[in-house]
Amino acid sequence: MYADWLDTGTKIGFVALVVTFFIHVFGLVPPGIALEHLPLYWHLPVADFIRMTGAPTGWAWVARLGEADLLNFIGVAILGLVTVVCYLRVLPLFVRGRNRVFVAICVAEVLVLLAAALHLVGAGH
Amino acid sequence: MRPTRWLPLALPLALALAPAAAWAADAPAVPWWVWPLGLFAVTFLLGIVAVLGGVGGGVLFVPIVGGFFPFHLDFVRGAGLLLALSGALSAGPGLLRSGLASLRLAMPLALVGSITSILGAVAGLALPVPVVQTTLGFLILAIAALMWRSKRTERPEVPVPDPLGAALGMHGIFHDGSTREDVDWRVHRTPLGFALFAGIGFMAGMFGLGAGWANVPVLNLVMGVPLRVSVSTSGFLLSVIDTSAAWVYVNRGALLPMLVVPSILGVMLGARIGGRLVQTVRAATIRKVVVSLMLVAGTRALAKGLGIWS
Repeated sequence: MYADWLDTGTKIGFVALVVTFFIHVFGLVPPGIALEHLPLYWHLPVADFIRMTGAPTGWAWVARLGEADLLNFIGVAILGLVTVVCYLRVLPLFVRGRNRVFVAICVAEVLVLLAAALHLVGAGH
Repeated sequence: MRPTRWLPLALPLALALAPAAAWAADAPAVPWWVWPLGLFAVTFLLGIVAVLGGVGGGVLFVPIVGGFFPFHLDFVRGAGLLLALSGALSAGPGLLRSGLASLRLAMPLALVGSITSILGAVAGLALPVPVVQTTLGFLILAIAALMWRSKRTERPEVPVPDPLGAALGMHGIFHDGSTREDVDWRVHRTPLGFALFAGIGFMAGMFGLGAGWANVPVLNLVMGVPLRVSVSTSGFLLSVIDTSAAWVYVNRGALLPMLVVPSILGVMLGARIGGRLVQTVRAATIRKVVVSLMLVAGTRALAKGLGIWS
């Protein structure tokens, strides 16, 4: 069951990643940072890169999906959330089996992953 | 002379010199599209070598791309984690369906590793780049030495399982296709395993290396898990540990699609080719290639971190 959900989620994530990348590269949607300007910034530390380009942090990219370079974040977000979904899928099995230790491990892992994904930990510079 | 004899020397040199030459020629003057194409070519080769050498892509990707391409190490580490994550996610379903990967073994260790990988990512983004670069150089050289010397055991002896491992149900049976036997396995030294996975998670997050290089030796040599179960379970562990650290980099803005996507595509394609070459290339040659690559990349990271060759 975990494997099936992992398989489906991963495939969706990869397709999103590749399709949005080609939309970006072939200029089908205008980017936030012009492709020819990228080499001027990508050698900078991430804090300077954000200050110079106005690139988003956290989930601010969701509000700017009209920019081609931020469309790529969709695929990355899917790949980053696949594991959370898979854990939530197997959690009921441990609950039904009354396996309290693994229920606790499963819940703790979901909370850790969600805390990281929702920028509740690791924020700041 | 057989061409494979030159591989350990030629491949690291080619990887090192091609992008370095372009960079030396004044990187901003190079058209933007040269870099994703170059990344695709280099990661394609890395994908082949990583599969043949049995290492995750991240451990080769971060020092090589961080050392020889113009991208800042913040972006390279973020990409390294996403690269390792992609490989683990795509291999995961097959490994789980094969019955070789053990969720009961992986889930407790993954919890510890994912917490410390977040801490490692935060620490890595807070430390000055020369410190991270220098430490990365030392670490890569140490991993190269470890890979050169380490021996793995197909079926380690576990005379008495420890109480923690037994309580967590870290045991099972797997079918060995080569001998057509069902093999019982169990673990020992579980507390030490947890401590080591805490360290592995921290380093995976800090340097963006993934964790495949360390997962298998700890599971196999320390905890006594059979090699096939260790390798399969390692993929699952990677998918959890790298996810949490990757989110820290993504949320900080250290995600550069122009670096991430060509690299993922290159490694994936290379890995497919590598998978077909497994039966035809000598393991000793590949080990030399991987160790040579790591020596070149580790030395470059060290020299860059110490300001000797920037």
